[in-house]
Amino acid sequence: MRTANRVASLVLAAALLAGGVLLAVQALLVTLDRPTPLLTRTDWYDTLTSTGWRDPGVRAVAGGAVLLGLVVLAAQLRRWTPVRLRVDERDGWHLHRRCVERRLADAVGTVPGVRRARVRVRRRGAEWRPRVRATGDPAARAEVEFAVHQELHRLAAPRTGRIEVRLLPRGWSV
Amino acid sequence: MTDAAHRLLWTIIALLLVAGGAAALAASYGVLPGGDPGAALLSARLLHQWRLATPWTTLAAAAAGALLALSGHHLLRAELRRPRSAVRGTLSHPGRRPGRTRVAADVLVHALERDLTGAPGVRRARVVLTGAPPRPDVWIRVDLTADTPTARVREHVGAAVRRFATTAGCQPAHLDVTARIEPGRP
Repeated sequence: MRTANRVASLVLAAALLAGGVLLAVQALLVTLDRPTPLLTRTDWYDTLTSTGWRDPGVRAVAGGAVLLGLVVLAAQLRRWTPVRLRVDERDGWHLHRRCVERRLADAVGTVPGVRRARVRVRRRGAEWRPRVRATGDPAARAEVEFAVHQELHRLAAPRTGRIEVRLLPRGWSV
Repeated sequence: MTDAAHRLLWTIIALLLVAGGAAALAASYGVLPGGDPGAALLSARLLHQWRLATPWTTLAAAAAGALLALSGHHLLRAELRRPRSAVRGTLSHPGRRPGRTRVAADVLVHALERDLTGAPGVRRARVVLTGAPPRPDVWIRVDLTADTPTARVREHVGAAVRRFATTAGCQPAHLDVTARIEPGRP
C-alpha cells in the first residue's frame, strides 16, 4: 500500500501539473481572443451540453466515483503492518521487517528437503511470533524451528514466542 | 513525503470522491433541492451566466489552472525530495566563560555517519536530526552486510551516539535506529 500511495501521488502530481498548465494557457488564450488549438474540437462541448443528469452514463460515473472513494478510504484507514520490528525499546533499535522475514526464509531454506519457504513475523507485546510456510517433509519441523531460532539469535532478536511451522508435502502450494 | 502524509492526502481525495459522486447521484435522481435532473450537465442558464461574466470567468479559469499546476509542482517536489535533517544551521552552546560555541549541524551529521560506517559490516549509514538543537531527536538508518552479527553493530552504534553526544555537547532526546540486513545464505 505504501508503494501504491507513492506511485499514485506521483501520477496525481504529474496530472495536476500538466492539466493545470493546459487549463491556464487555454483560458488565457480565450481571454485574449487568440486561437486555442485544444478547444477547437467541440466534441466535449456537445457531449456536456446534450447529456442530462438522468443519463445512465452520468449515474454510472458517479456511482463508480463513490465506489472508488470508498475502496480508497477503506485501504487508507485499515491497520497497516508496521515496516519495522522493535528489538529493544531502551536503545530505540529496530530491524526492517522484510529483511528479517527474508533472512528467516533463507535460514529455513537451508534445512535439507525444505523448499519455497515463506516467513511472516508478527509482534505480540515484546515477543516476536514467526510463522513459517514451506514445502517439505512434515517430519523436518524440529529442524525448521531450530534454524529459525538460530537465525533469530544471530539477529539479536528479543524473546520469541511460539514458532508456527506449516510444512506441506511437495505438490501443494505454499 | 512520509507515509502518514500520503495516507492523509489519499483519505482527503477519497472523501472528495465519495462526496462528489454522491452529490452527482443525488442530482441525477432529483434529490438535490432546486436541481433539475432533466437539465444538461452544462445547462443553458450556466452557459449564459458564464458568457455574461466574461472575461472574468476565463481569467478565473486561468487562475484555477495556475493554482492546480502549482499544487502539482509542490506535490511532485515533495515526492522526489529525499528526507533531510530538520535541524539546520548551527548547534550553539553558551560556555562558562563569555562566548558561545557554534558547530554546523551538517558537519555533525556527516561525522556521525562516517563514525557509523567505520564499523565492520556497516555498508551505509544515514542520519537525520529533528527537534530542538539542545536535545535533538536522532534518526539513524544502517545497512548491514549479510554476515554481520547484529549485536556487535548495536554496541558500535550505541558507542558512536555517545561519542556524538560528547562531541556536540547535546544529549539526544530520542534515538531511533533502523537496521536493514542484506539477504544472503546464513
